[in-house]
Amino acid sequence: MTTDDIFGHMFQEFPENSEWDVVIIGAGPNGLMAAAYLAKAGLKVALVERRYEIGGGLATEEILYPCYSSNPHVIYHMMVDYMPVIKDFNLDGPSLLWIKPNAQTAMVFEDGKSLLLTQMIEDTKDSISKFSFKDAVNFGKVMRSWRRIVDEIVAPATYVPTMTPIEMSMALQKTKVGQEMLELIEQSPLDIINNTFENDRVRALMLYASCMWGLDPRETGIGFFVPLLLDRGMNKCYCYGGSHKFASAMGREIIKAGGLILEHAEVSKIIMQNRRAVGVELAEGRTLRSKVVMSTLDPHTTFLDLVGAQHMDKDFKALIDGWKYDKWSFYTLHVASEEPPRYKCDDPWINDAFMTIFGIESTEQLLAHWDNVVAGKIGANFGGHATCETLHDPHLSDKPSKHISFFQMHAPYEIQGGWEKKAKEMEEAVLAKWQKAAPNMKRENIIMTVHETPVDIETRFPNMRRGGIKHGDYKPIQLGSFRPNQECSSTKTPIEGLYVCGASTYPGGLVLGGPGYLGANKVAEDLGVKKWWKTTPEMDRYIKTYLT
Amino acid sequence: MSRDERYDVVIIGGGPNGMTTAAYLSKCGLSVCVLEERVECGGACETVEPIPGVRIYPHAMLMYASPAPGFEQLELHKYGFRMVWNPEDMMRSLTAGNTTTQGVTRITEKDAMGFAKLGGLLGQPPFTRELMRATFWCPPHPPEVEVTDENTPYMQVYKKYQPDVCTPELRDWTMFELMDEFCESEPFKVTMAFAAWASGAAGHWEGVAIPALLSVQLLILPNTGKLSIPRGGLHGYFHAIHRCAVAHGAVVRTACPVEEIIVQDGRAMGVRLRETAAIGGRKIWANKAVIAAVDYKQTFLKMIGREHLDPSFIQKVKDISLKNGTLYVSTYHTRKPIQWNKKFKAMQESETGVAGPAKVASGGVYPSDSRELYYENVADCDARKSLPTLPPEKLMWFLTPSQAFNPTDCQGRYREGYISAAFEVNVPVPEYQIEGIDAQDKEKAKLDAYMRKAFSQALDGLEDENIIHLWSATGREVEFRNTGLIGGTWCGSRHCRDQSWTRRPMPELARYRTPIEGLYTCHQTTGHPGGLCLMAIPYNLMHILIEDSIAEPGKWWYPSPYYIPQKEKVSAIPR
Repeated sequence: MTTDDIFGHMFQEFPENSEWDVVIIGAGPNGLMAAAYLAKAGLKVALVERRYEIGGGLATEEILYPCYSSNPHVIYHMMVDYMPVIKDFNLDGPSLLWIKPNAQTAMVFEDGKSLLLTQMIEDTKDSISKFSFKDAVNFGKVMRSWRRIVDEIVAPATYVPTMTPIEMSMALQKTKVGQEMLELIEQSPLDIINNTFENDRVRALMLYASCMWGLDPRETGIGFFVPLLLDRGMNKCYCYGGSHKFASAMGREIIKAGGLILEHAEVSKIIMQNRRAVGVELAEGRTLRSKVVMSTLDPHTTFLDLVGAQHMDKDFKALIDGWKYDKWSFYTLHVASEEPPRYKCDDPWINDAFMTIFGIESTEQLLAHWDNVVAGKIGANFGGHATCETLHDPHLSDKPSKHISFFQMHAPYEIQGGWEKKAKEMEEAVLAKWQKAAPNMKRENIIMTVHETPVDIETRFPNMRRGGIKHGDYKPIQLGSFRPNQECSSTKTPIEGLYVCGASTYPGGLVLGGPGYLGANKVAEDLGVKKWWKTTPEMDRYIKTYLT
Repeated sequence: MSRDERYDVVIIGGGPNGMTTAAYLSKCGLSVCVLEERVECGGACETVEPIPGVRIYPHAMLMYASPAPGFEQLELHKYGFRMVWNPEDMMRSLTAGNTTTQGVTRITEKDAMGFAKLGGLLGQPPFTRELMRATFWCPPHPPEVEVTDENTPYMQVYKKYQPDVCTPELRDWTMFELMDEFCESEPFKVTMAFAAWASGAAGHWEGVAIPALLSVQLLILPNTGKLSIPRGGLHGYFHAIHRCAVAHGAVVRTACPVEEIIVQDGRAMGVRLRETAAIGGRKIWANKAVIAAVDYKQTFLKMIGREHLDPSFIQKVKDISLKNGTLYVSTYHTRKPIQWNKKFKAMQESETGVAGPAKVASGGVYPSDSRELYYENVADCDARKSLPTLPPEKLMWFLTPSQAFNPTDCQGRYREGYISAAFEVNVPVPEYQIEGIDAQDKEKAKLDAYMRKAFSQALDGLEDENIIHLWSATGREVEFRNTGLIGGTWCGSRHCRDQSWTRRPMPELARYRTPIEGLYTCHQTTGHPGGLCLMAIPYNLMHILIEDSIAEPGKWWYPSPYYIPQKEKVSAIPR
């Protein structure tokens, strides 16, 4: 006999079966956004998350246990200036504080010379002119045009349903800015950089900054990412109090609007009935039935694991099977240290920079390193970027006056020799290289380290398959109206009642805030719910110019 | 620029006490702001994933709160509260026996019946919930009321259902004396006493026998007799409380440490944030109350200017004793599972019923031979040496019950190896260490090695080559992480008679009021019944806030049946 037999349960639990308007799978940035918009629109929304904490990549966690927290995934918030969610929920000020340092991206070289990308164009030009006056002038000129491309087209388009490539090129013909963008699309990032700049070190910095999030430098058809990632790379924000604060702020909006969040709730399947998605079943056994299911997971998990191939027609299944993950992922070494890294270089601003690239001496070396990574290797020629998080946020360290930094580099998911063995070796190599660039990063100043390999990324976030932070490669046939495929890029899928709105759906990952926003719009329209939010003036201008 | 803000109530500290109070008060319709200094709320109710797929609970890991009125009053089920039920029941885990240097000793029938009787299981009807609620979920009596056998809540419950438990000495006894009366085998008594020591009220302290025993029973009986935990651990339980607060309009600000409680004319007016605080306004004003859901040191020695408190009160605050030691917690990640060695085969066999990812050893107190051994451990902890002087074979340790028994536990996906249950050892509080406050931090590697030797007396698998990771934290590291866990102590100030019930932590603070008007305390170190994340302090505090006309709850509210209203105050009993 148990005490249960004697006096029953002491308390009530969340019910075994419940009914909702919308169930959203995955409480990453997109799931949170979609849930917040729809809950506030009066729908009964449940957001279910596998992990013990919401946020997905918006994580701030004590991975250097005990006492030191880090932002193991998202730290550089590039779309804060544009994301509608921030204005629509009035998150700036009352809930969130963004730090946007002027010194954004530094690059230090072995000989002590350095380059610095700043928010303010003239400061960057000053830095470039140390190497090439011509490049400094060109930088100013192209950024004038590229910022307009971002401001008027790419940024607002992030929050507007996508067009087919043909529609897109016709629309872009309408304006001079659009025509400039069309010219860029045709080129590879490497061509654009080489055509614009003459000095090799300037080229190396620009190439790193535009391709670091997973662009193939030699791929054509993705050239518009260069202005976007360079401009946004010069406007990165840090979320004060840690990236997770952004997730918490959205989480509270969901709760305030009457929505539900369940953590530790892994979905085992999407319930299908009469060819419709009608809810989800959790691994723990509970079911949540709903009019609409929205998945923010990668296409393989959503369609093959949760829906099941038997519910898809052959052609659609072929599209899902064809989905490709990123060619590379990241290896990150997190470090708690007595001092912030102090780089030996010719510019005192470097030590205030948000991001510092080191280990890269030339474009040739950078390309060789990336080629290595794609081939499953990391050679002695590796380089990467580092950030000292505590320079911007004292809350991450529980111990006063200690510092937390990380070094991150491109790395293959499958590495020769295997990560189990390689990870420790890499740690030694990284620290040696770091100490070369910043002499005070020596062992006796280091309190603790922890590394995250591509396999670790996948273990923490199983839908970042193969360590892919964007849930799938950025290449022309997986972008725009092809993300994740032509059937699903509007967020609506061929399966009635099922929507997809994660990083693998247009416009993509990196906390753009696009897929979740577009998914919410689509579901609100399809369920006939009045939208309480309005498009931003930038979006209105874009729609008026290019879509009408 | 951020501007000052104003709320009815400002709560300092977003741990379980602060957040539960926020939930209660926002449900009363008050505007509430919670200020948390860390990047995540939860305080001791936290989950950490130090390496991917490996989840550990640095502090609160077991569910003691089941009888809390808060589940019902705050409707936590609506905010996603779920449990992971342990397939093993109480009888099975109890009958496994106790671990001594001689091997496993069986629990006798008298032990089991004594335990059941004191826990209210043998009454007609069983009165466990009422007994627990009377003991923990009732505010201490007002100062004008003399505490007697007749008005002590747990005595009233025993009188009603199990009168033979009540003796004139019951309220004076130590837990050992109580166990001598009702149970039989020494290892069982020692195990219970040690578990109580780890839960905050030790087996050898006078006058706290019943609360000490019931704090252990809270673990077992109310969870339908199973040592079960909330889904997502205690942080999952905390999420439900947090969301209840937010759903009722509470504003929660993380990364917002409070520098000062603003006092004017003897009244708490609000708080001033530290300069580095993330937004929210530099000063946050409170119309009705400031609630310090942080420890007494921060509240009275740091946040309030000395000029507002008289020196005799300050002296009393400084004299609050933490001297029951602090828990040093170790969690191992091993290649092969840690298992009881041959001598303790019966323990290992009792684990076989446990499903889930890791059939690792769990649930034991070793060595539980005798109370002399227990006293030797107490004396060693009180010796204030940072490193124990007892030989490792004599060190008493507590291996917690398993927290991973469900195959659908989606966090237990470590790629290799096994995660141990947490090991707990009582060690001196840093500030009492004669070699200095940071002595343990400096000797951490030695301390870890010593403990490993102690654990290896009964367990296999702690050899160097089997260990992938060890996570442990010294008292000082614990305090750095969670400032309110002063000295790393889990249950705060010692729960001896001089610091419990109407004297917790001193008579002036017992009813959660303070010498500063409008300032209330709500923390395990400052209020009855103390720690264990029970939602008890906030429930008890509600009575006081109703008395002071700050909170006016709706029909959902019910007070403790054993509560006595203070003279000339509004009664918390609804009319």
